[in-house]
Amino acid sequence: MNTDSVIKIKDLHFSYGGPKILEDIEIDIQRNEFIGMVGPNGSGKTTLLKIIMGVLTPDRGSVKVLGNPPSQSVKEIGYMPQLTPFSRDFPISVEEVVLMGRLGKTSSIGLFNKTDHLAAEKAMNDVEVLDLRKRSIGSLSGGQLQRVLIARALTCEPKIMILDEPTANVDMKIEKDIFELLKQLNETITIIVVTHDIGFISQYINRVACINRTLVCHPTSELTGETIENMYGSHVHMVHHHHED
Amino acid sequence: MQNAIIGGVLASIACGVVGSYVVVKRIGYLAGGIAHSVLGGMGIAYYLGRPPIEGALVAALVFAFVLGWVSLRMQQQEDTVIGALWAGGMAVGILFISQTPGYNVDLMSFLFGNILMISSDDLLWIGGLDVLILLIVFLFYKQFLALSFDEEFARLRGIPVERFYLLFLSLVALTVVILIQIVGLILVIALLTLPAAVSGLYVRSLNLMMLIATFLGIFFTTGGLALSYQPDLPPGPTIILLAGAFYLLSLFITRFKKRA
Repeated sequence: MNTDSVIKIKDLHFSYGGPKILEDIEIDIQRNEFIGMVGPNGSGKTTLLKIIMGVLTPDRGSVKVLGNPPSQSVKEIGYMPQLTPFSRDFPISVEEVVLMGRLGKTSSIGLFNKTDHLAAEKAMNDVEVLDLRKRSIGSLSGGQLQRVLIARALTCEPKIMILDEPTANVDMKIEKDIFELLKQLNETITIIVVTHDIGFISQYINRVACINRTLVCHPTSELTGETIENMYGSHVHMVHHHHED
Repeated sequence: MQNAIIGGVLASIACGVVGSYVVVKRIGYLAGGIAHSVLGGMGIAYYLGRPPIEGALVAALVFAFVLGWVSLRMQQQEDTVIGALWAGGMAVGILFISQTPGYNVDLMSFLFGNILMISSDDLLWIGGLDVLILLIVFLFYKQFLALSFDEEFARLRGIPVERFYLLFLSLVALTVVILIQIVGLILVIALLTLPAAVSGLYVRSLNLMMLIATFLGIFFTTGGLALSYQPDLPPGPTIILLAGAFYLLSLFITRFKKRA
């Protein structure tokens, strides 16, 4: 096995008991790749991420993350969710949110220890929110909150980061800032980012994984207006659109 | 009277800590289900000639697990099932109490509590449960915080979310048993949530919220006792009305401040 393979998926099929959500997925993600994952709503992107993180189990096929089954490696993944499922009036500070990324790495009883606080501080510093540490999350702007959630994903010192639409609710300028930040992080961390905006991110990523039940990977250089149109086109279109790299 | 004040203070500790989680996690309805169904256990214990608090403790823990399981596994019908267990538990309790001679006075004190009748034994129970609750919350503070803030993220960090959820509901159950001694089971939900809700309007951190909720709880219980003493009113409802009035006032003030 290639030792630089970080995520290796073979012949993966998944359904929630009904129609197939994912079919015949194959992908091999190498260390320090920056993968953009695109596809229409309901195409199975989030499902595939959940399989990679061991939340869902595939019907068939093999998934190896860092050479192990996903449930064993999930602690090495820094995850930033698509929608923030929590309430913005929750009484919690930026620092406390970021510290939560340490769960799974720190001792399971008692409070967070010094190592945790140092890791959280470093993560907040990396994403430039250290000066907001005492602020409550309810008082943050959209862009600040996204950065805080990236910091939370970073505090476990992950080998892989998975970000599900990290720039869904922010303007273009902040989107650019966030991708610049991810590009820096990418020097040491393998990154998978789900997005709608492939035109914009093509300058940052190595490969695009196009998902619509099946998965087709394109190197960024191959990305043209036509591929994008095909992907977001009708379902039938997508099935015919099956070229090997 | 002295026992009543000590009881109020001890109960406020559990109520401030656990109530804050209940408020931020928004499971007041589930806590209400646990509180009311406890009457089943109290009724059975009473019928068997055992102290009602023992029955309350067993029933609260059993219902915490059942309701927790329901809310984890049957999300579609969660509110209906909770409603059924809520009423069913009470019905069982009332049937057993009706079959025990001389039930009338006791039924009222189960339902509405009687803080003035708290014995030294009760105080030992309440104090012991306080210690247990604080110990568990201290040991698993991180997990409970993660669970109430962002359950999905907690799960992805490898936290056994369901186990902690059930442990948390057990803490709610213990707190409910404590509070029943003070205000009775009908009014438990108000005393469990109001101090934390008031405190949550003013502070932006969970541990501070717990601390202030505890002090508010002490203020409401002693204040309610004092207010009810002279006109000889039942203390339980007086405590709740004081807390409720405070909550509405705070809500009004914070809304008004936001608009201004």
